[in-house]
Amino acid sequence: MTRDEFRQLKKLREREQRRKLQDAYEAAKGPIDMPFLLLAMMLLAVGMIMLLSASFPTAQASSRLGNDPLYYFKRQFRFSILGLVAMYVVSKINYERFRGLARLGIWTSFVLLLLVIIPGPNSYGRLLALGDNGAARWLGIPGTSMQFQPSEVAKLGIIVYFAERISQKREKMNILFDRDGAGPLVLLLGLMAGMVLIEPHMSGAILILGMGAAMMVVGGIHWKWVALGVTGVACAWCLMAYTDIIENILRSIQYNASRITVWKDPFGGDLEFQRGAAFQTRQSLITIGSGGLMGVGLGKSRQKFGFLPERHNDYIFAIVFEELGLVGGTLIMLLFALLIVRGFWLAIHARDRFGSLLIVGVTTQIALQTFLNIAVVTNLIPSTGISLPFFSYGGTALAIQLVEIGVVLSVSRQIPAPKAG
Amino acid sequence: MTERSNRPQKTPVTIETLKKKKKRAANSARLAKLVIQRRTLALLLVFGVLSFLALFAKAYDLTINQNKELQDRASSQQMLSTVLTASRGTIYDRNGITLAISATADTIFLDPLVIEQRAAELDKQRAQKLVDGLKEGETLPISGQEYKDLIARKMAEILELEEDFVRGEMAKTNWRYAVLRSRVDKEIGDKVREFITNNETGSSIQGVHLESDSKRYYPHSTLAAHAIGWLNNENQGAYGLEAIYNDELEGTTGLTVTAKDGSTNSEIMFQYEQYYDAEDGCSLITTFDSTIQSYMERGLEDMVAKYGAKYGATGIALDPNTGAILALASYPTYDLNNQRSIYVEKLQAELDKVEEEYPPLEGQRHSSEYNDKLQELQNLQWRNKAVGEPYDPGSTFKILTLSMGLEEGVISPASTFECSGSLRVSDYDIRCSRTIGHGHQTLKEATGNSCNPAFMNIGFAIGQGTFYDYLDAFNLRTTTGVDLQGDTSGIFTARDKFTTLDLACYAFGQNFKVTPLQMITAQAACINGGYLYQPYAVEKIVDGSGNVVSQHDATPIRQVISEETSATVREILEYVVTDGGGRNGQVAGYRIGGKTGTADQQDRKSDDPRGDIVVSFLCFAPADDPQVIMLLTLDTPRRDTGTYPSGGNMVAPTAASIMADILPYLGIAPQYTGADQDSIEGTVPYVVGLTKDEAAAKLADYGFTSYRVVGDGEIVTDQTPAGGAIVPTSAEIILYMGAEKSNDLCTVPNVIGLSATDANKKLVNENLIMKVTGATGGGAKAISQSHAPDAEVAAGTVITVQMGIAGTTAD
Repeated sequence: MTRDEFRQLKKLREREQRRKLQDAYEAAKGPIDMPFLLLAMMLLAVGMIMLLSASFPTAQASSRLGNDPLYYFKRQFRFSILGLVAMYVVSKINYERFRGLARLGIWTSFVLLLLVIIPGPNSYGRLLALGDNGAARWLGIPGTSMQFQPSEVAKLGIIVYFAERISQKREKMNILFDRDGAGPLVLLLGLMAGMVLIEPHMSGAILILGMGAAMMVVGGIHWKWVALGVTGVACAWCLMAYTDIIENILRSIQYNASRITVWKDPFGGDLEFQRGAAFQTRQSLITIGSGGLMGVGLGKSRQKFGFLPERHNDYIFAIVFEELGLVGGTLIMLLFALLIVRGFWLAIHARDRFGSLLIVGVTTQIALQTFLNIAVVTNLIPSTGISLPFFSYGGTALAIQLVEIGVVLSVSRQIPAPKAG
Repeated sequence: MTERSNRPQKTPVTIETLKKKKKRAANSARLAKLVIQRRTLALLLVFGVLSFLALFAKAYDLTINQNKELQDRASSQQMLSTVLTASRGTIYDRNGITLAISATADTIFLDPLVIEQRAAELDKQRAQKLVDGLKEGETLPISGQEYKDLIARKMAEILELEEDFVRGEMAKTNWRYAVLRSRVDKEIGDKVREFITNNETGSSIQGVHLESDSKRYYPHSTLAAHAIGWLNNENQGAYGLEAIYNDELEGTTGLTVTAKDGSTNSEIMFQYEQYYDAEDGCSLITTFDSTIQSYMERGLEDMVAKYGAKYGATGIALDPNTGAILALASYPTYDLNNQRSIYVEKLQAELDKVEEEYPPLEGQRHSSEYNDKLQELQNLQWRNKAVGEPYDPGSTFKILTLSMGLEEGVISPASTFECSGSLRVSDYDIRCSRTIGHGHQTLKEATGNSCNPAFMNIGFAIGQGTFYDYLDAFNLRTTTGVDLQGDTSGIFTARDKFTTLDLACYAFGQNFKVTPLQMITAQAACINGGYLYQPYAVEKIVDGSGNVVSQHDATPIRQVISEETSATVREILEYVVTDGGGRNGQVAGYRIGGKTGTADQQDRKSDDPRGDIVVSFLCFAPADDPQVIMLLTLDTPRRDTGTYPSGGNMVAPTAASIMADILPYLGIAPQYTGADQDSIEGTVPYVVGLTKDEAAAKLADYGFTSYRVVGDGEIVTDQTPAGGAIVPTSAEIILYMGAEKSNDLCTVPNVIGLSATDANKKLVNENLIMKVTGATGGGAKAISQSHAPDAEVAAGTVITVQMGIAGTTAD
């Protein structure tokens, strides 16, 4: 290669790069996707209202919270404002810039998760982690009284890192044993999910695995692996549903297998079982079932008065069914479905693979979380502690969900307008 | 940024290779983009559509299919419900006198477990105090045993129980609910409450509880017991009007449903309080008249006391113009407030005898023989004989035969009959009560004589078919439809088996059975103008706020005989009382119509070779315009009383005395004829303070012509009888003019068996006043007197003397 040729090549490359950046810059000025934004805002609004309804009896009854019925609502509201601002800012950023954050993000996630699981002398047996209900999943932010869940951060970190990696090395995605292939991603995913599982945070681990898997599927791993994965999940499901094998295995490793027993027959068992292991599921089903077609009316839930545990957290959707009935619950599920469909639609139309994968990651996370939450609440699957996006009480989670929405919106700006004709 | 390639490059990069590579890359990029799009679309379908369909299906199943079941589970855990008892309606008589009323009552029960726990706690505290020592002013808490003793002692005392019984209940520590006494009066409940809050222990008693509900009171205990009935332990009507009108009386139980808090089980303060009002039960305004009812019950009791009644007695009084039951009584009776114990002493004595013969075995309260007997007697005393027990009516049925004959025109008042003492029907000789025969008689005389051959002939004249039609027309072959318990139909030979012999017997009231209520209902139709009314006991049903919910409609079922026929029947029946076999039913000053009856109960197995008989008397007054009709029956009286057992001898006098009380009470003014001048009553005026002449004038104004003066003062200082007393106007009034009124008591003489004139003479001699009731005329003799002979009474006391004519034949 001659010097001239090299210069020419370099020039060519630089020009191409400039043009692409120029394009991206121009594209980043495009309009955000209004349907997606509106659906997200509607869910946020409905979610806030339901949180208020579900949480006020608890807040009012709690002298620790100053008997302030609005306690949970106010806190959630503050985080939603924070989240909305963050969402706006993120949506303004040219998402291509996130590529540069990929490595930083994944390292940060890793370190934070590590901080959570380091054993130590505090009351949760950890060095730093703080807990709630016996599970140490939280870290305090130094200098403030605020806490956050590193697993939430990790989700975002994984989404960005995976999107970047997969979009770069798409040719090798169907190769497992390669430095740039799927293998290292599987290992990384396993490592992250494993750390989350140790917290313990089963549902977080499931989410991370599901999300990562979805991104790899879209990213182009070999269809045989997809088929293998689907078959594996289906087999596990069948084993769990129709045999006692999984239960026995879980029992043998000292894990709480009663969740599966409860799932199979929530109203059976002796009194101890009903008041103990099955209590939460039973109460959830009673709550949902007593709503009927039209519900008892907004704000008029009875089950929230001390009967349904976790009413403003993981089981908030049971209150939705009780107060708004099948009709209200279905309408809200429809909003979620539309948001998810719109999300994947945006992924299909994104300007480049990176954008597509970002959206697939975010949308899959929301979709999985929504499905798993409502499925647990309705006892379609055994219970795992999983929160409902936009509804469940939880500041960091909400703020990060809004940031993720911002990411999707940012990608949506660069979708080229359909060409006329 | 663009895609960077970090791969080591072995071949030199030229623009051509670069372009080629770029083209290949573009190709592969397009392919990759296709893969992304396809797979994203797959995710879209899985996460955006399929998963939500699964969730919807599950949610549909829960909210729609399992809605009812889950909602029940929800309400059962959410609701703190308090039952509001509805108060049961009151039963009144026609004048608003209360016959049955509900009031709050308390059930007292122990919670043995709590008592045990409290006792243990006290022991612990006591031990602690003994160790720590007492501070000043402090007392040692009682021990657990003392605590239990205190409860046992006080409960036994307040509730009138054996202390051992309370201890026994207290020992059932696996129980939380050991009832000591159910439904005690509020006063007793209040004493228990007082003990719980205020006692020697210094703090409130734990483990003794009260539960309030309602208790039924029957202020007049036995009055109209068979009609009113009673409640079972669940406060549900078990018998009588209480049972028949249970739904109306009961009302609707209310409920307050308060949503409760799942964690503290307390009521949540705001919203979700549902209040379902308790709706008080309706009250019944019955047709009964307490006064008439009590006259009748007293009459039955007297009659039974005098003549005995192996199988009891009944009495019914109706308003013949509506069918309203004014009084209805059966004997033996019972106390509604205590319906399970045997009320009549004689029956209780029988029970005691069984108790003696069969003492209870070890561990039993009573022997099984005793329990069987008790049950038998309970059933006997609860039996509403007047409504539910058919009997052979005998001669009172002749009223119906008479009515049929007259209505069909086969006889008339001018008809005459011959009686030779018996009549041969289908190879049977059927005898008359007077075996030598009544000879030649008019229709009136035949009825007055209660002549069987005459009535058999009337029956033949009517004919089998027509006679049988009338049984239906008088509603004898169905129930009366009365709103009382035990309404029963009569027992008759089937129409296709109804022979001439049957007709002959039916004509004078034998060989078939009707209930007393059926009988009087039909008889009322014969004398009220021919209209058959359905007898009824409840006039009005009134709700809690006094609105009339329903009112009895007294329209006749049908007209059985014409007004004219009915008038003739009345006339003939009046003759029966004035001149015939019913003379003992006379009431001075009133026109009474009536008919006696003495009926063999041939189907019964009797200990007596002469068989069981039911003697009865049907009467009504005033005879020309009946306002009240009454039927009394006495089932199998003793034959050794000296009185020949017949309706005329045994029942008519009692009927007369009851009528003598009822008629003035009903406001029917007496009209005296010459024959019963002696019986005219007047109110003695108050004459103290007047001069002798003034007093005499005033007495004369009030109808009193005879007076006697004691003393020689200017003015009347005292009088006997006192002013306001109601005495026959023939009585002599004693005016004390300054003289001390004698406080000596007079001795009542025995006047039984004397004629009215002789009896009066004897009583006046003793400074007593005679009042005559019952039969008048030549053969009448005193058959009873209101005060027993040799009783000591104040001068001027009115002695009522019942006159009667003793017959020697049945009627």
